[in-house]
Amino acid sequence: MLPVLIIGAIWGGILTLVASGFTLTFGVGRIFNFAHGTFFAISAYVSYILYPHLGYLSVVVGILSSAILGLMLYFMVKPIRENEIMVILLTLSLALLIEQVILLTFGEDPVSIPPIFKGSLNFFGVEVTSTKLLSFIVAIILIVLLEFTISRTRIGKEISAVSQDYESAMIVGINVERVFMLTMLISSILAGIGGVLYAQIYSVNPESILEILIVAFAIVVLGGLGSVKGSIVSAFLISYIQTAVSYFSDARWSELASLLVIIAVLIVRPKGLFGVE
Amino acid sequence: MRALAIILALIPLLIPLVAPKSILFTIGLLFLFVVYVVTWDLVAGYVGEVNLGHVVFVGIGAYTSVLLTLNGLNMWLSILVGGMLSTLFGLAIGSVCLRLRGYYLALVTAILPLVFIQIVNIYPNVFGGYEGLSVGINNALHRTVEGRFYISYLFTLASLIVIYKIVNSKFGLRLKAIRDDPDLAESLGIDVFKHKVLAFVISAFFSGIAGGITAFYRLSVGVDLFGISLMLLIIISAILGGLGTYYGAIIGAVIVYVLKYMVLTSFAQSLGMAGVDDLILYALLIVLIYKLPKGIFGTFYKS
Repeated sequence: MLPVLIIGAIWGGILTLVASGFTLTFGVGRIFNFAHGTFFAISAYVSYILYPHLGYLSVVVGILSSAILGLMLYFMVKPIRENEIMVILLTLSLALLIEQVILLTFGEDPVSIPPIFKGSLNFFGVEVTSTKLLSFIVAIILIVLLEFTISRTRIGKEISAVSQDYESAMIVGINVERVFMLTMLISSILAGIGGVLYAQIYSVNPESILEILIVAFAIVVLGGLGSVKGSIVSAFLISYIQTAVSYFSDARWSELASLLVIIAVLIVRPKGLFGVE
Repeated sequence: MRALAIILALIPLLIPLVAPKSILFTIGLLFLFVVYVVTWDLVAGYVGEVNLGHVVFVGIGAYTSVLLTLNGLNMWLSILVGGMLSTLFGLAIGSVCLRLRGYYLALVTAILPLVFIQIVNIYPNVFGGYEGLSVGINNALHRTVEGRFYISYLFTLASLIVIYKIVNSKFGLRLKAIRDDPDLAESLGIDVFKHKVLAFVISAFFSGIAGGITAFYRLSVGVDLFGISLMLLIIISAILGGLGTYYGAIIGAVIVYVLKYMVLTSFAQSLGMAGVDDLILYALLIVLIYKLPKGIFGTFYKS
């Protein structure tokens, strides 16, 4: 039981980084980003290629590449934002395109980045590597920072205003386009950091793009579409469910587990745990 | 337009007289692909909901009918049962996801293909794993390629006529009203949820039957019928032709199928890089979204 709790918390931290950004872009810009998983994978792959040349600087370049992809996506979505169907299809085909490029370049075998910190610590008889501990701490710091930014700073208030009512926000003089761009940037950077942390602990492959997206779906539906607080709580819930499923049965059932969570939420409480709408 | 459509619909009857068997076989599969696209467009183009798991209906129809036939049930009956099972599955998914506005259908259906592929791989003894199941010539739609070609043609023609009647009926008009303005439609007394689910279920039924026929046409069933690659092919066809234009879906399906199986696949093979063909198609879809969002039919034909 204890290993499930510890591993689940670490995995939950990484998932929060991925899901909070996903829900933020949806809440603010009504952009349902099927390409969100590419932010996660691209940073891991870029750090993987550059690691032999740059060492740990490659991790920074990896996160930067996610940010660039985020900006690119903002400009790609901008002209078609009003058309929901086209936004879904554009982001989905972009995700599949990038997956295919990675597949053709690196093959389907998983790749990983050497961990920054070696060694491990002992928690109540469970061995936890330093990398896992680091990723948990980084995730918690970033989540607190994100919450602080949204609730306390001016830009955070602008983000909340746009997500509540985009036209009124425009009327009171908020630069809505800047807010959209900024949320896409935050969202891509958070997922990118999630990717480089994950690739140090485990490994990524081309399929990670869709796998992580599906987990993000389950988290945001459970937490309530658009609610950042909800996504933080449900990221840990989903993480524990997933860790328990793969610990006690078979990791191959994890997608089915996500699907069942989503369907159960839609039947019982469609707005999710913290839904606003 | 209608007279032209009827003449064009009769031309395929002459193909067996001129085309070699291998081409004939591919064209028969193309007909079934047209059914997948038109049934997808019934939901995407007329209701405005994106079903990213349409291939699951095709796959359920195919796997169910093959498994039943291999266990001794009559082939036609198994195809029908496969279609019914697809319909029931569509009803279950539709009644959960379509109750809510927004992205829920796209979100849930996006996961379905991956779940079904996993199930097939987890139980290889039942579903044949990656290799799939072979049907055997004794269970084929017809022993000759020509016979199967005509059956596929007749089924496709019948489905197209039914879908044509549906989209041009009052029901079809109400679907378009829902797509254009769900609030207005609701205030006019249209039961939005019921209409959406009904369209979804019709789409599931025809694609399920088409899946069964596909399996007995090509004599095998495999995970490719659940694949994301097939799903994207369906979506590209509908977008290229023009969403919600009926004829557009047919035109798009023909162009994309020919492009994929007669041009791009051999191009990818000549490069020695499998997967380049999919890459080109994904890029094509992105270009289409910007440059031709209304599709060929929506852009060049104003009704």
